[in-house]
Amino acid sequence: MASFRNFSQPSGRSRLDYILFGAMIALVLLGALCIMSAVNSLSFSNPVVRTHLVALPIGALAFFIGWSFNYQIFDEQWKFLYGFILALLIGVLLFGSYQRGSRSWFVLPFFSMQPSEICRVCTILVAAAFLDRSGRRIRDVSTLFGLGLLLAPIFGLIMMQPDFSSVVVTFPAILVLLFCTGINVFYLGLIGLFAGVAGLFTVGWTFIYLHPELTDYWFINAFYQLAHSPWYMLGFSVLVILGGYGAWWLFKQLRIFLPSFYFVLATLVVLAGLLGGIFVDQQMKPHQRKRVETFLAPRSDPQGAGYNVLQAQIAMGAGGVLGSGLFSGTQSRLGFVPEKHTDFILAVVGEELGLWGTLLVLGLYLLILWRIIVVGYSASDRYGYLVCSGIFGMFFTYMLVNFGMLIGIVPVAGIPLPFISYGGSNLVASLWALGVVQSVYARRIRA
Amino acid sequence: MSVTKIFFNTRLKIMMVLAAIAGGIIAIRLVDIQVLRHQSYLEMAERNRTQVIYQTAPRGRVFTADGVAVATNAPSFSFYYLGAGNNDPAYLEQLARDFAPQLKMDPKEILSKLQKGVKTGKAILLAENLSTKSTVALQELQLYYPGVYLIEETKRTYPYGGFASHLLGYIGSMDDREWRSRDVRMGYRLNSKIGKNGIEKKFEKELKGSDGGVYLEVDYRGRVKSIIQDKKWAAGSDVYLTLDFKLQQAAEEGLRNSKTGRGAAVALDPRTGAILALASAPAYDPNIFVQYSDEENPKKSKKINEYNLAVQGTYPPASTFKVITAAAALEYGHLNINHKINCPGHYDSGPRVFKCWGTHGPVDLFDGMANSCDVYFYQIAAQTGAAAIERIQRKFMFGRQTGIDLPGEKAGNLYGPTRRARNKTYWFIGDTLNLSIGQGELLVTPLKLAQFAAAIASRGNVYRPYYVDKIVSNQTGKTEILGKTEILQKSDLKPQTYDVLFKALKYTVDHGTAARVRIKGLDVYGKTGTAQNPHGADHGWFMAFAGREGEEPSIALAVFVEYGEGGSSAAGPIARSMLEAYFGIEKPMPAAAMAEEKPEQTGAEFEELLSEEEDGVF
Repeated sequence: MASFRNFSQPSGRSRLDYILFGAMIALVLLGALCIMSAVNSLSFSNPVVRTHLVALPIGALAFFIGWSFNYQIFDEQWKFLYGFILALLIGVLLFGSYQRGSRSWFVLPFFSMQPSEICRVCTILVAAAFLDRSGRRIRDVSTLFGLGLLLAPIFGLIMMQPDFSSVVVTFPAILVLLFCTGINVFYLGLIGLFAGVAGLFTVGWTFIYLHPELTDYWFINAFYQLAHSPWYMLGFSVLVILGGYGAWWLFKQLRIFLPSFYFVLATLVVLAGLLGGIFVDQQMKPHQRKRVETFLAPRSDPQGAGYNVLQAQIAMGAGGVLGSGLFSGTQSRLGFVPEKHTDFILAVVGEELGLWGTLLVLGLYLLILWRIIVVGYSASDRYGYLVCSGIFGMFFTYMLVNFGMLIGIVPVAGIPLPFISYGGSNLVASLWALGVVQSVYARRIRA
Repeated sequence: MSVTKIFFNTRLKIMMVLAAIAGGIIAIRLVDIQVLRHQSYLEMAERNRTQVIYQTAPRGRVFTADGVAVATNAPSFSFYYLGAGNNDPAYLEQLARDFAPQLKMDPKEILSKLQKGVKTGKAILLAENLSTKSTVALQELQLYYPGVYLIEETKRTYPYGGFASHLLGYIGSMDDREWRSRDVRMGYRLNSKIGKNGIEKKFEKELKGSDGGVYLEVDYRGRVKSIIQDKKWAAGSDVYLTLDFKLQQAAEEGLRNSKTGRGAAVALDPRTGAILALASAPAYDPNIFVQYSDEENPKKSKKINEYNLAVQGTYPPASTFKVITAAAALEYGHLNINHKINCPGHYDSGPRVFKCWGTHGPVDLFDGMANSCDVYFYQIAAQTGAAAIERIQRKFMFGRQTGIDLPGEKAGNLYGPTRRARNKTYWFIGDTLNLSIGQGELLVTPLKLAQFAAAIASRGNVYRPYYVDKIVSNQTGKTEILGKTEILQKSDLKPQTYDVLFKALKYTVDHGTAARVRIKGLDVYGKTGTAQNPHGADHGWFMAFAGREGEEPSIALAVFVEYGEGGSSAAGPIARSMLEAYFGIEKPMPAAAMAEEKPEQTGAEFEELLSEEEDGVF
């Protein structure tokens, strides 16, 4: 970590972090090649290739805008930015087109866009601004609740589309942002507990929903009834409250003195987690349940839900160290790999460029993450630091979920790999986010 | 915004460390998938994209020594539509109309199959098991209609039906256990047929060859994209047997048409120990197992007679054993071959009176052998002693397996005082007398007796019989010789003993009970036998060896007819036709053959023989 320290030394008059920029360009070029290979076309008339080639200059423009604008403007004008987000999300709910069970696209005569991609970056900027503006009270619980209230409408609107995968990426990014803010880890733990309880209930219920025969066991049945019967819910709540009281009493007896509101909070969070779980459970669509199932047992049904992940892994494994070469991967070319130019583009990289290809992508990602941290470290103000942490969290989540999905440690979430995957909105938003990071770099502390 | 100090850089560091750890885990897993499991994933990818229409390779053929293919392959054709090419409905209709008469199918049926193929883009099997006749026309039509594919396969056939079926065996589908012990790398598929018995089983590896196939590249929906490869099969190696085709056929025909249709005939080459014929009746037709789908093959037809009487059936050798008794008397009994013993029709051993089958008057060794006079052999056995007879039995390896490479061979049973002593019971004079005429506890298989005949004919060579000569690869042309002469034991009797035995057996053929095998131009030596069977009709034996006149014997044989009653009447004609087939001698008129018969033949037997031959057996 010595390199962090060295960085506070004068680094010339450069206004651009060339390492970050180079890694970004490399990823974008590699991505363009892989998309062409994935759709099996060198011709520019292919709609996918054409759209991507149109999105590239727009993304470049977004990068330059992000870079050249002083990022502090987002801090100054965060209310307008917040309004812009809400307007976009409400707009897409009103005027968006309904595709694949969700209303998340603006379809315009010449192009279509997915506002939640831009909103994701804007949300980070707004959250950073809110935290920065809370000044000295940045680490207080009140700030945390304030932030929760501020972001609740955004998440609510996204869930109304519904765009579950957008939440999956944004939420951890906000958590990383909060962590880097220096918030009390206990509160982060509470948030994690909430998410964990809600997630556990959701996954458990989904699993039982897909395997009805399990309800023969009384305790599993009781667990399952929690989602549907108010009496069970009440009983569970009473148990949790008693448990919280019991824990408080136990700690007191053990002479371990913790603030008593910790116990109250923990109890409340567990109950909130239950409610959240019930809410998510009722919102879930059958295909999302299937994804959870796939994650829990990927090989149980190789022709069904687990098919996608298995085929993607076969493609990667078949690539070996050197790969089969661009435009010659049979798994992707013959359509065995699903979503091969979007979410599963890494499978194409793995099959055609081999281990070197996937390690190259991974390495470039880690390079970008490292540079974002370095930039955040050298930022001239707290806002720059917070923005970098949030964007770091976003890319970190992308990397983790997309790679993790392929190697089978994360459920299939339908999340693209920025710069590599096909998707104009995502590309533009990601390039803009890096532009903002470059803007922070350009205005870093001078010697 | 005031410019402030750097905040909380520890937490930034923690995040970077987390990112590095995550990256490390991902990298390890990537190496795991892409390097360590590369091979298995590669195979899965290949399996994903290739579909193979297999062509079963022709199994190696099985030839007899004189070059007759007794197990071979018939072409069998399957007809596929691969989905590529013209998908115009009018074209398909035309195609269906043109092919319908050749495939013997309704054009509508073909059309519906074709349309299904076009819709799904998959390879469609239109017809299989097509005959060779229709394929010529189909091959021509194939040129006009791209997209259809005629696939040649082969199908095992046994052109002579049940010919040597107990040796050849048969092929069939694998059962679970057999499938588990094989795998795809050995070239087996779930519907492969494997040798189930006999040579088909023993030489499965050599006979199999490697299957070919049309390799298609298909996409994730199974639509045919292209034909990657049309791999030709490689035929299996050919197996050459030592069997003599005509001889084996004569033996089988003879057994099939014998009185009971049950029996065995074995012929050996006394110079090498090679099996010239090994027939067991009843036999089965291995063709019934070849049907490509098991549904066509009704269960009951699978109940076949796999019992190989020639090696698994044990019977008392009866009068054929008198050769051993004579040999014992000559070796150890100081037998005066010209001394005549009076046969009054019975022999008084003291406790019991033993009967002869006739009244022969004064007989010497040659007359005794020729007329198979029991009293003569009772007498010389009583003089020589049972121990000597047992000793001679051991010299010819009675009671031991012949060592032929066939499953389930029975050893038979040696009979003598030593064996009795080991069982701690007594040996009586009656046992000696029973033994002398080959009755009692003595048991041999037809193969054993043939081996014995060959041992006498070769003056003492007890061979291990073999029936596989060589394996010739169809790919490399390499020949692997498997048939080797192996002498298990040398029966070192005195040369004079053999001379006397030869003379006596020849005399039996020329003037005695074995007259049925007297053939002009040949030196035939033989002995009949009629095994008394307490459970039913007597069994007929015939043991003989022969060579061209003035030459050493070149064939030794044993014929056994279960419940055939007379050795001469039941087994004799079979032996005769075998010898004629082997030496290529025109069959003389039956009446002429009959005229030379000894008067001891009854009229009934005469008629029976006549009627048999008038049926046009040969």
